[in-house]
Amino acid sequence: MELKGRVWKFGKDVDTDELFAGRFIMGGDETSQSQYQEFIAKSGLSDVEQRENVPGDFLTNVTKGDIIVAQENFGIGSSRQQAAETLKYKGVRAVVADSIHRIFFRNFWNLGCPAIDLPGISSEFKTGHEILINLRQGTIKNLSTGKEFEFRLIIPTWFIDMVEAGGLIPYHKSLKA
Amino acid sequence: MTMTLVEKILARKAGKKFVKPDEIVEVSVDRAMIHDALGAHTIARFRELGMEKVWDPARIVVVVDHYVPNKDIDTAKKCLNIKKFVVEQDIENYYEVGKGGIAHQVLVEKGHVLPGTILVGVDSHTTTSGVVGAFATGIGVDEMAAVFKTGRLWERVPGTIRINIEGKLVPPIMSKDLMLLVLKKLGVSGALFKSLQYTGTTIRQMSMAGRMVLTNMAIESGATNGIIEPDQKLVDFLKGRTTQPFELVRSDQDAEYTETLEFHADDIKEPLVAVPPKPSNAVGVTEVGGTRIDQAFIGSCTNGRLEDLRIAAKILKDRKVDKLTKVIVIPASQEVLKAALEEGLISIFVEAGAVVGPPTCGPCMEAHMGILGPGEVCISTANRNFQGRVGDTTARIYLASPATVAASALKGKISDPREFF
Ligand code: SF4
Repeated sequence: MELKGRVWKFGKDVDTDELFAGRFIMGGDETSQSQYQEFIAKSGLSDVEQRENVPGDFLTNVTKGDIIVAQENFGIGSSRQQAAETLKYKGVRAVVADSIHRIFFRNFWNLGCPAIDLPGISSEFKTGHEILINLRQGTIKNLSTGKEFEFRLIIPTWFIDMVEAGGLIPYHKSLKA
Repeated sequence: MTMTLVEKILARKAGKKFVKPDEIVEVSVDRAMIHDALGAHTIARFRELGMEKVWDPARIVVVVDHYVPNKDIDTAKKCLNIKKFVVEQDIENYYEVGKGGIAHQVLVEKGHVLPGTILVGVDSHTTTSGVVGAFATGIGVDEMAAVFKTGRLWERVPGTIRINIEGKLVPPIMSKDLMLLVLKKLGVSGALFKSLQYTGTTIRQMSMAGRMVLTNMAIESGATNGIIEPDQKLVDFLKGRTTQPFELVRSDQDAEYTETLEFHADDIKEPLVAVPPKPSNAVGVTEVGGTRIDQAFIGSCTNGRLEDLRIAAKILKDRKVDKLTKVIVIPASQEVLKAALEEGLISIFVEAGAVVGPPTCGPCMEAHMGILGPGEVCISTANRNFQGRVGDTTARIYLASPATVAASALKGKISDPREFF
């Protein structure tokens, strides 16, 4: 499975309260998928202009298929899945970071979006670079610099099948059928 | 082949003889907790799976805790959806407003988590229950929906970092000060995909309440979980709280730890304060002493227990809090509230000029009450001081022990509790 996209470079310790503020947690009608997704997409990173670790134009210019490359400790904090959902519904396809917090890591994969931790990777990318990720081979290529990197994920054997199915819920549904 | 406590629990629950760090295992879950903040989402996702019945209603605990009592229509609607689910699925362990308190407190206090078992919750501070020698950790709502379906969970076996602490903590130095010191050493990502196991004489002398601060804030170092080996104190604590049999699982004598960090109670020369925006930013109280505050909060799943309220009351007794400072005291559970009432602590708070809230999360996060406005400064006994955690992004949150927060409440500025002791 290959993912190709444009890079947004994030800083370190991007926390869940920053990705999705507490005041929005009880918003959105979870029983209506389209309404919920729209609400989650627009509520994320609400205070981005006051943050140093997220590019100022991310919210206005992020497009479907973009990939975040972040410094260490991405997604630290709460288990609120909205922190992962808001990135997905804004169009982010994958997150690559020097290190990723456990709950965010699981949440993002569960939505069908790969989260890849590889120490040192962030220094190889800048906003605007093109990135190519090959999940099964375990490689990341910076198409703008031509450099390639290998990663080894510690994940269950069925995880990439799950991503191909579209996430944990669709994967479970496919098991039942 | 030896194993640490957490490795042993995961091995047993995976039906394996031996597991090692970074191995992927699939385990059976003994308890699953949802609360009001993420419960309705879990349920919606569970229904999306096309499931009618949960795998085992007796293993599920549902707690209303973040929005007590409900603050608006959205909140009330989600809580109604949760209650409908509880009735439909025949879930006995349901804590409605007025019956429980903060989930992590309720889980431990009501004996829902036993030594050697596995608990998952839709909340990162689920780590708190590791205090009973269980593997307790947080997951997201999709995963919880899958747990509701299968009763199973995958986990990356965390290597164990041993935090060994020797010596005696002398009040008003509290376990919170110790934890802030541990976090200063580990940083906010020092324990990613690792487990923190607390050992040493300081832990053995410490009350259950004090220990819970350490397992609660293990997550602040990025850890998968925090855990403490069971001892007689725990067994005594669980008496009357559970009728279920349990086994006291311990680390092997010569178990291999990823790392051992040694601390001594004497290392804490003065009460500590974590300056914004990271829980790992501890400095001595004198360094930030005198910083003007607008709000002082005593409560949360970190420090809203009886001994926390006792030490705060000791400092506030027969004194008045600062005229311009909002002082908020929130017991972590109904049980704590009742005990505090009986001991006369609540009247001390009221007489001092503090407001006392119903058991709930309160101004620990931007949920319900005590939200901070632009530029406001709060000193809090909670666990996170991220930018924007409790309201406006220009507000600043300092984390400290209940003793330090109480002393600061009196002066309207960050203050050393030793002055009142
Ligand atoms: S008190 Fe704070 S940290 Fe604890 S469960 Fe509530 S919101 Fe979360």
